[in-house]
Amino acid sequence: MARILVQLKLRLLLGALRATNASRVSFILSSTVALIAAVGTFAGLAALRHNGAAVDLTAVTYTLVAFGWVILPLIAFGIDSTLDPATLALYPLRTGPLVIGLLAASATGAWPLANLIGDLGITVGLAHGALAVLIAVIAALLQVLFCITLARLVTTALAGLMRSRRGRDLAALAIIPLFALYEVFTQVLPRAVGNHELTAASFAGVDSWLRWLPPGLAAHAVQDASTGHTGAAALRLLLVAAIIVVLGWLWARALSHALVTADTSTQAATIKGGALPFGRRGGLTGTVAARSLAYQRRDPTSMVYLGLTAVIMVVVSISSLRGTQPEIGVLLSAGFGGAFTGLLRGDLFGMTGPAFYLDALGLSGRRALRCWFAGQNAAVAAISVPVILVVPLVVAIISGHPVNGLLAMALGLPATGAGLGIGDLFSSTLPYPMERRAGNPLPRQADGFIMQAVVARLGGLIATAILVIPVIIAIGATGSVAEAVRVPALIAGGAVYGALLAWAGIALGAGLADSKLPELFQLAARSKL
Amino acid sequence: MGIPASAAISARGGAAGPWRPDSPAITVRGLRKSFGSKEAVAGIDLDIAKGSLAGLVGPNGAGKTTSLSMMTGLLRPDMGTVLINGVSVWTDPVAAKAIIGVVPAEVRLFDRLSGEELFEYAGRLRGLPAGEARQRAAQLLDVLDLKDDAKRLVADYSTGMRKKAALGCALIDNPRVLFLDEPLEGVDPVSADVIRRLLKRFADSGSTVLFSSHVMELVEQVCDHVSIIAAGRIVATGTMDEVRAGKTLQQAFIDLVGTRGTGGEGLSWLGSSSS
Repeated sequence: MARILVQLKLRLLLGALRATNASRVSFILSSTVALIAAVGTFAGLAALRHNGAAVDLTAVTYTLVAFGWVILPLIAFGIDSTLDPATLALYPLRTGPLVIGLLAASATGAWPLANLIGDLGITVGLAHGALAVLIAVIAALLQVLFCITLARLVTTALAGLMRSRRGRDLAALAIIPLFALYEVFTQVLPRAVGNHELTAASFAGVDSWLRWLPPGLAAHAVQDASTGHTGAAALRLLLVAAIIVVLGWLWARALSHALVTADTSTQAATIKGGALPFGRRGGLTGTVAARSLAYQRRDPTSMVYLGLTAVIMVVVSISSLRGTQPEIGVLLSAGFGGAFTGLLRGDLFGMTGPAFYLDALGLSGRRALRCWFAGQNAAVAAISVPVILVVPLVVAIISGHPVNGLLAMALGLPATGAGLGIGDLFSSTLPYPMERRAGNPLPRQADGFIMQAVVARLGGLIATAILVIPVIIAIGATGSVAEAVRVPALIAGGAVYGALLAWAGIALGAGLADSKLPELFQLAARSKL
Repeated sequence: MGIPASAAISARGGAAGPWRPDSPAITVRGLRKSFGSKEAVAGIDLDIAKGSLAGLVGPNGAGKTTSLSMMTGLLRPDMGTVLINGVSVWTDPVAAKAIIGVVPAEVRLFDRLSGEELFEYAGRLRGLPAGEARQRAAQLLDVLDLKDDAKRLVADYSTGMRKKAALGCALIDNPRVLFLDEPLEGVDPVSADVIRRLLKRFADSGSTVLFSSHVMELVEQVCDHVSIIAAGRIVATGTMDEVRAGKTLQQAFIDLVGTRGTGGEGLSWLGSSSS
């Protein structure tokens, strides 16, 4: 069984190399990133030799690696067909051999190998003496086994949920904290290290509780062996091994359960309340806004877009938080918030997908299409504008310059109007079908449409930046005017200018869409959402 | 982008002449569509009488979906005319869309709405006041046996439930002409019966239904008019009796379209008598 499943895994990996160009590029990219991660982790751990906080940092690194092994398969559910027990449910297989086979298959591939190579960095960074090196090798192997077993247990236990719509929705939302973590590692931490605000000593004592988790136990076993406490080291490793055995047993139970349990996707939630809003006086705009608003709340894609926008807004405002450029940071935050609100939604037809047939049959003429665009914009604005206004304001208050937060409102409103207007324009001029792919909970452009997507998004960002220049000039030029007059005037002016930009985008988008509605429908119908 | 000159001329030329109450509800003349070098629809002519329940049958890839898409304004033809109750779909789409309802083959709905929200949305989108849309939605949900699932997200509906939901959306503003593409594909027998009875009742009231299907028995049982399409051309059209010519529709269809494959004569190992 183990041999068959390992062969299956190898065939799947080779199949990815032989399939489409996209999958080949994806495979090569993934293997390259795995190699970089392996070398980087090994070098990072090895560099801790003679560092006072070496064991703390190793425990943190091992814990982060284990965390990654648990989280990423949940988001990438579907990439590896051996991950889902449902693919094996129809075969007459006994659980025991299946567990061992799946474990062997899980240990096959670039990422398990990268994990092992990276973890072996402790043989250099933490181990002192031959016996400690031996203990370090065992610790690294146990760490890899722990990562695989834990990831398998969590994936298998949640397999039913992950096949369901609600499970996939939850997995999609997990992208927001991961993106925030990514931004912390790529934007915040490098600057903190560069400014000597974060040093190795900052981690001293951080493992006071991490040391009792399996990754921490493995790291401390090497530390114990290096300091002559071989017995304690052996006990720690035995404890890790025991935990792995327990996890394996739980995994076997979860697997037995998953192989004979019905899919939970049929257990559906109900919606409270019966009617769509804006029924009395909303007209066609209200009707479309009502549908779009429901999507803003219920479709995880909308929530993820909003979450990503908020993370970007916080990250670009870091200079305000650090107090170096209090005004620039919050203004950038508001500007980026508005621009991203528009550009992430700059393909309304493709994102509506095949369901657009209902709209295409109900809409005709520019007036109706203006209502369609306006309704969608109104719903997006209703959800996004509070975030675009509040994030810079909170940052400004924290940094001790609340007025800057109000000035950011004067920029955030026109930036949002410009973003939405340009999004409408690009929706009609450069539409492209979207599709969801296994392993990526967010929809992306279909194959062959990458140029449209890049031009629309980059163009959206540049066009928004150009359109808000008058507002930036107005903010800069009115610095000597009393705040009580300046701030309300700028906010009101920004709101009017933003509304005009949004309206212009709606009018232009509707005019262009009117003449090619069947073509736009055919394109939307190609979306796989 | 306007419609091609040939189609526009043809539409204005009105091959079918001025529409009268006894004129066909659906008139198609010279409808063509090519995708690259492949001619999907090679010039079809079709007349469907008002109040008919008409079937469009054909093998896979015959051009059924392409034809229906062009008849409903969702796919621009290379050439040809489509008149619905005398209104040209391609020169007066606003008026044409106001009198048709459509259920596409691949039913993809706004699945983050509940069933009742979806019906209300479809009604309001087509100009019904919100209160009226809600009232009709409740009645349709009841008739389509979706009442218990009215508050569930459409995303959690089964294929059959989605088909019924799409039918409800198409019917909510009481269209004069209803187009359905494979309405019973993937639908369980109970739901199929609900849909069948609803279509029958709809046609009996004087409205017109044109649907495509693979299921000959269904078409034979329900339709009073049938057209057979093969390789993008209508090879037979008329009343059910005219097209069947004394045979079953299945046999008439096979005689007209021909059979493919060998029936698996080469698979000597297949079957319980083999080891």
